[in-house]
Amino acid sequence: MRIFGETKERMDKRQADRRQGAPGEREVQTRTAPAVERAQEMVVENLSAYYGNFKAITDVSMHIRPNKITALIGPSGCGKSTFIRTLNRMHEVAPGGRIEGRVLLDGEDIYARDVDPVRVRRRVGMVFQKPNPFPTMSIYDNVVAGLKLTRRRKKSELDEIVERTLRQAALWDEVKNKLSESGTSLSGGQQQRLCIARTLAVEPEVILMDEPASALDPISTQKIEDAMEELKERYTVVIVTHNMQQAARISDYTGFFYIENMGDPGRLWEFDETDKIFSNPGRKETEDYVTGRFG
Amino acid sequence: MPRETFHQELEALVGDLLELGEEVKSTLSRMVEGLERRDAEVCRGELGIDARFKLRGAEIDEECMILQARQAPVARDLRLLYTVQTVANHLVRAGTLGEHICRVVVDTAGEEKEEALESVLIQMAKAAKELMDRGLAVFKSRDIDGARDLRAMDDEVDLMYAEAMNLIANPPTGNRGSPEWRAKAALVVHYLERIADHGVSLGNRTVFLVTGERIENAMLQYRERGDSK
Repeated sequence: MRIFGETKERMDKRQADRRQGAPGEREVQTRTAPAVERAQEMVVENLSAYYGNFKAITDVSMHIRPNKITALIGPSGCGKSTFIRTLNRMHEVAPGGRIEGRVLLDGEDIYARDVDPVRVRRRVGMVFQKPNPFPTMSIYDNVVAGLKLTRRRKKSELDEIVERTLRQAALWDEVKNKLSESGTSLSGGQQQRLCIARTLAVEPEVILMDEPASALDPISTQKIEDAMEELKERYTVVIVTHNMQQAARISDYTGFFYIENMGDPGRLWEFDETDKIFSNPGRKETEDYVTGRFG
Repeated sequence: MPRETFHQELEALVGDLLELGEEVKSTLSRMVEGLERRDAEVCRGELGIDARFKLRGAEIDEECMILQARQAPVARDLRLLYTVQTVANHLVRAGTLGEHICRVVVDTAGEEKEEALESVLIQMAKAAKELMDRGLAVFKSRDIDGARDLRAMDDEVDLMYAEAMNLIANPPTGNRGSPEWRAKAALVVHYLERIADHGVSLGNRTVFLVTGERIENAMLQYRERGDSK
């Protein structure tokens, strides 16, 4: 049988090829160096999150791949920030905050009874929307602030960590001659990179970023994005962003959160490779959102 | 953030493209008319119109580039811009070939012709024009089912191509038409086959625009849906 000039055999073969490469099973090819062991995958299973009686998100399942950047997009109030906060047990700090479902970090449920949330937050670090360096501390002390809470380290060891993390955050060259100055003497964009360095200093496995560049100018935003490209060589990165072009530029995978009707909980509407989401998304609502037809 | 201005600009761009399509269709109509009636005058009016097509095509290209630079389109909008550019290219090329055929009609007005070959040329010209018309209609209405029919129509054009070439290589005894006309007829056959291909491409581009898949994959899925019913 020939269909449009093609034999059935060839079509069947192509079909089989496509099945093998079904979305979600093939890995995105990226230019990064081989994965470092530290980065971990996270698997979210049927997660719902509540504030008291209010259900903010429902039934989210997601596979967050190691050494990749996963971007979360969606209209305001659809549960992106709530979701990202469940990934390091920050959600339960909010009044009435609780979850159902499971979140596995390297195969272990971070909500299991014997797990210490503080330890989870060390393994899964977070960078917030507004840069929040400790105002009374120097740049140097800001970076090592998290480390001093754990155990005593030699000065030389701390020096090494400060330089390494500031380099990873693409800030080193700008601050290397004024490490003893106050963290608040830096510009907003520099402060945000300082906060990234502070997050990196405790050697997390996953880094969560909740709109890390939304308060920054385009140049600072570009520097943060460049830093993220470096970061994924060592870490797993999840970022919430309202800037769709930012998601398109930097991420390997994109999750679209959406609320169908007012008052409903947010859902993960579509999750796929970023290339797919921004060229040919599978669902109409995703397409309408990324092309700016609502939101 | 609804992007109304951008979407209005996109609509205007598609409007420009369809206008170009109408102009190309008109040139192809004159081409068929000229061939059919041996009417050099109707074709003379089309000479040089390819310069206009190329200019319009370049304007559309530029508008696409500006929209891409300023609006960073994604998904459906991105596919539309890409499709507009390629469709414009197909239209300009088909229109240019139509102009070339009109020029042949004018240049060979006084030449002696051979009827069997001439009638195949006329038939083929009608089919090629029909393909462009339908291709444009498919694009305009996003009718991806119609895109499949274009391929079947193109198979007929390919048969006529073989028939015409055979007549050129092995003319019937008796009246063979003038050598100049025979040589130009070979070019016309080739141009017409190209025009028909551009018509088919309009359908293929529309399939990509609507489904985001190249036509082979899209049609495969279509067939799978049919099988599962």
